[in-house]
Amino acid sequence: MRRTTLVTAVAAASALVLTACGGGGGSDAGDSGEVTFWDTSGPNESPVFSRLAQDCATKGGYKVKTETVAFDQALNNYRTAAQGGQGPDVFRAEVAWVPQLAKLGYVVDLTGTELANDTADFLETPLGSTKFEGKTYGVPQVTDSLALFYNKKLLADAGVEPPKTWDEVKAVAAKLGGEKTIFINNDAYYALPFIYGAGGDLVDADAKKIVVNSPENVEALETAKGLLDAKAATTALDPANSYNNMQAAFTSGEVAMVVNGPWSVADYLKGTAFTDAANLGIAPVPGTTAGEGTAPVGGHDYVIRQGTKAKDSAVKLIACLSSVESQVTVAKELGLLPTRKSAYDNADVKANAVVSAFEPVVAAAHPRAWIPEGGQLFDPLKIAYADVLAGKKDAKTALDEVAKTYKDTVVPDYTVG
Amino acid sequence: MRRETSVRRFLDRHWYAYAMVLPVVVVIAVLVLFPLAQGVFFTFTNINEGNIANPVLDRPATYVSVGLDNYLNILSGDASYGAFWGTLVRTLIWTFGCVFFHYTIGLGLALLLNRQVRGRAVYRVLLILPWAVPAFISAFAWKYMFNAQYGIINQALRAVGLPDPVWLGQSDWALVAVMIVNIWLGVPFMMVALLGGLQSIPGDLYEAAEVDGATPWQRFRHVTLPGLQSVSSTVVLLGIIWTFNMFAIIYLITGPNPNTRILVTYAFERFFSGASRDFAVASTYGVLILSVLLVFAGVYRRALRKQGEVW
Repeated sequence: MRRTTLVTAVAAASALVLTACGGGGGSDAGDSGEVTFWDTSGPNESPVFSRLAQDCATKGGYKVKTETVAFDQALNNYRTAAQGGQGPDVFRAEVAWVPQLAKLGYVVDLTGTELANDTADFLETPLGSTKFEGKTYGVPQVTDSLALFYNKKLLADAGVEPPKTWDEVKAVAAKLGGEKTIFINNDAYYALPFIYGAGGDLVDADAKKIVVNSPENVEALETAKGLLDAKAATTALDPANSYNNMQAAFTSGEVAMVVNGPWSVADYLKGTAFTDAANLGIAPVPGTTAGEGTAPVGGHDYVIRQGTKAKDSAVKLIACLSSVESQVTVAKELGLLPTRKSAYDNADVKANAVVSAFEPVVAAAHPRAWIPEGGQLFDPLKIAYADVLAGKKDAKTALDEVAKTYKDTVVPDYTVG
Repeated sequence: MRRETSVRRFLDRHWYAYAMVLPVVVVIAVLVLFPLAQGVFFTFTNINEGNIANPVLDRPATYVSVGLDNYLNILSGDASYGAFWGTLVRTLIWTFGCVFFHYTIGLGLALLLNRQVRGRAVYRVLLILPWAVPAFISAFAWKYMFNAQYGIINQALRAVGLPDPVWLGQSDWALVAVMIVNIWLGVPFMMVALLGGLQSIPGDLYEAAEVDGATPWQRFRHVTLPGLQSVSSTVVLLGIIWTFNMFAIIYLITGPNPNTRILVTYAFERFFSGASRDFAVASTYGVLILSVLLVFAGVYRRALRKQGEVW
């Protein structure tokens, strides 16, 4: 009797231990026929992607569950989930995330599937983002870049053309109301037009060099700061509120110009300044010299999670979502840029004002380094850029610190050049 | 032979106690001691997301020992490793600033609420509200209020002609802003705890003091404060440990801003956020935070013991 109680106690304790250590495991046997799709596109765009996914599932004879995930948390959540063998089957990953996820082993190598064979029709730069060490890990969903959005009425009233250089921005500022000319978002991604326009870059992946503190980049950040100093631009100095303030200032007609991507159009058209959609002008970002303005290539790719139980269905879903038809629907309804060349031949796509305005911008856009660390280059730069714009540090000091952080924690095998 | 019988006799007498304790010991070992030991072990390696073993992905571990490198990198105060000493000082300012105002404001409110005033129950409910609101909702609400351009705080400051700082920007105002939020959030707890303490002080002590001709200040100084001492020492210690490790408020309001960085938010940045998931450096920060708190708790306990407090 006594012994049995002891045995029971031990058994209960070890059961607790086992539950604590349980979980995990899982192998890719068969196809469950149910695909979970993590969509990071946000409330304006998600309904369209969700509907497309449902249509694909109905046609293809499998089930799909679309879950919308906040973009700024998605990478983190996906990595945590994938590490534990959980998470979605199909994930909409930002282009810089794909090489990183591939290196960490969180996405399926698509080489040998129909997805990797059907690539001839895709634009080259977005397609580059799906490759890592010669293998294909994703399919480009949409591509984008940054452009100069302007309030046509405000510019026409002031009698100015959309500026082609940052010096022109300064020159027309007096007519546009000084600080109300342009809103500069103090986030790292929005520093890239200044950096690329000045001929700089963050890293040179081929030479394995960190070039973030190059003289070009110093000049680039000084240009941005110079606009603020000359009272030709405004910014929200608190990074936490910067993007929202930019959107609010532009949609209310308070500032005349902003630099942003095609995803923001839906937000702008809801604003009081753009009740007439024709008032929204789109032009290439200004450069250091005219015609040299260039912005980063952005966009998103579809990837499949390593360890998925529905790989075949996931491949079918991605093939369907990235078909010409689906891309045309997305371009038509949301004004997002297709990644297939043939989608641009469609009459409806050509007629879309946003797509046609962005087409030359994307063609001239500056590719980013498709390295696993690509997505991690932004956090240190974000802090430095905000410091420079706030006048807390000069551009050289701030960028030297970024270079050191890159060397210490992001790309230790690169040299600082 | 004899030893065996004595062991058996011992077990016969005490088996029940051991059987009862065993599950707790096992659970604590599994849930506390094992992760702690593993965390300490990680601080001597270069473990990160790319070289950790992952059975799900069929990948063996490839991290190697790096000796004391993590500690040396961090303790050198290098900015790439979170500028440890500056961050530690900021953490201390944040902790003691917050707890000081938690305690003083909480005590003031508790004294006010301890009187017979009309509608006392209503005041108590209203003052407990900040505590009842989920922390992230408070954090986002305050983030909007601190918005330098459109926030209500700066609008009010502008309206009365005062300068309007960029609260959540690249300056020490950001730390002031998050401290204000944390103080607002933490006062109700102190108030309730101290109100409980106040009500446990016998009323005849005050009567006796009044008969002896003690002024209100003397009554507060010599009756109220000593009566509150045991409650105070506990809630202040708890408050310091919580505030030292308060991650959510800072991170939700300012994100990875170096001007509001404290030790735990930096450990989180290294562990989870956009930059590399550096488990080794994050664990090292964890061990250093634990060490600071252990030293503090030891000193605090010794100080209390000197005052005759058994804890």
